[in-house]
Amino acid sequence: MDTLGEFLVHAITLEDESAQRFDELADVMEVHHNSEVAGLFQRMAHYSRLHLADIKRQAEGKELPHIPPWELKWPDDEAPETVAHEEGHYLMTAYHALRAALRSERTGHAFYAGVARDTQDPEIRKLASEFAAEEAEHIALLEQWLLKYPPPREGWDEDLDPPAVVD
Amino acid sequence: MSAIDADTAAPVLKASDYKSDVKPVWCPGCGDFSVLSAITKALAELGIPPHEAVVASGIGCSSRIPAYTTVYGFHSVHGRALPVASGIKLARPELTVLAAGGDGDGFSIGGNHFIHACRRNVDMTYIVMDNAVYGMTKGQASPTTEPDWTASKLTPDGPGISAFQPLEMALSAGAQFIARGFTANPNTLAHLICQAIRHPGFSLVQVLSPCITYRPEQRAYKNRVHQHFGHPEPATDRREAFARLMDDDGFSLGVLYKGSQPVYQPAPAPSATPEEVAAQFAIC
Repeated sequence: MDTLGEFLVHAITLEDESAQRFDELADVMEVHHNSEVAGLFQRMAHYSRLHLADIKRQAEGKELPHIPPWELKWPDDEAPETVAHEEGHYLMTAYHALRAALRSERTGHAFYAGVARDTQDPEIRKLASEFAAEEAEHIALLEQWLLKYPPPREGWDEDLDPPAVVD
Repeated sequence: MSAIDADTAAPVLKASDYKSDVKPVWCPGCGDFSVLSAITKALAELGIPPHEAVVASGIGCSSRIPAYTTVYGFHSVHGRALPVASGIKLARPELTVLAAGGDGDGFSIGGNHFIHACRRNVDMTYIVMDNAVYGMTKGQASPTTEPDWTASKLTPDGPGISAFQPLEMALSAGAQFIARGFTANPNTLAHLICQAIRHPGFSLVQVLSPCITYRPEQRAYKNRVHQHFGHPEPATDRREAFARLMDDDGFSLGVLYKGSQPVYQPAPAPSATPEEVAAQFAIC
């Protein structure tokens, strides 16, 4: 990360895309009548939006560059805190949803920690360290939350009549 | 990079402006979600207002995509996304026209339209969400299914016939921009779609879009894909593009070919009022 503006664009995009993905997952779970997991994903989206609002406040008054999505400097193709679509399953349980959220928080934490470690800019280092610390708190909370949900039995995804889209 | 509004960290139009309020009925985990995301990001990056773009589709899971966008949409009949999209572009050349659908819709039911759309070279972009299965009807072999895929009760010994090769067919038939993307790389896919839209003429973007419900083994695509068709720059010579395809294992990603043949766009026909058109069909 070369400039504070560039870092803030990454942070804003990370939280925004995370929230949008949780929204999408919540919607599709609702469509598939998996209301428990839909509710969990809605809560995750809410938390991502709170963090997004916080970062936007810190970005107020600063000039932010426009960076096309494919030029953002993520470790992978997508923003680190975005749950991969392929992690979704219509029969997934709260355990799976929390595991997916935990993985996303861990990648978010690793991203911010990596920026804080590598940057030469003291302002970026300070902010990235703060964000990494916040992600560490989220990780701890999710780990606690997960204790309430043991892994489901093997075969949880078996379905003799899988879904079909009907026009 | 250009300066933008600090409150939004995005250009004037955001990808979310292109998403409708209709909730997709795709299975959770479906690759088509990433294609929707990539299309909306591409349109936002190109700054195309929703009322200046159209998505036409046929039938199938992926063909539901027009409803999930805020651009104009035409959810047509099976295999007919391309003739509908061609008609729209010829009648309204100022619009950005996309056609979208699946491998069954595009390469089987609409296979002949696919060939002739490539040949006509109307300026539009065709995005095929290829999962090598008919998902909407619960998992039958499609044109791009491997000959030894045995998971369908309709073809318990596998389809037994070679898979259709969409990129070879597109190149033979005259498509001017040919690329392959993957849904696990939605930002790279958005870039491919941007390039396809910008390129004059008929553009094909084949997207490897796993169906995790009927082809769960496709989750392993992420371990098989690789970049560039053996070369970082697209071929501009068809002979070279064919040579690269001969070495393609079906998992090369990126732009294969960029051609420069003239676009088919006839001059607009004289306009007429509905009454004048009706008069031509009047029975005296």
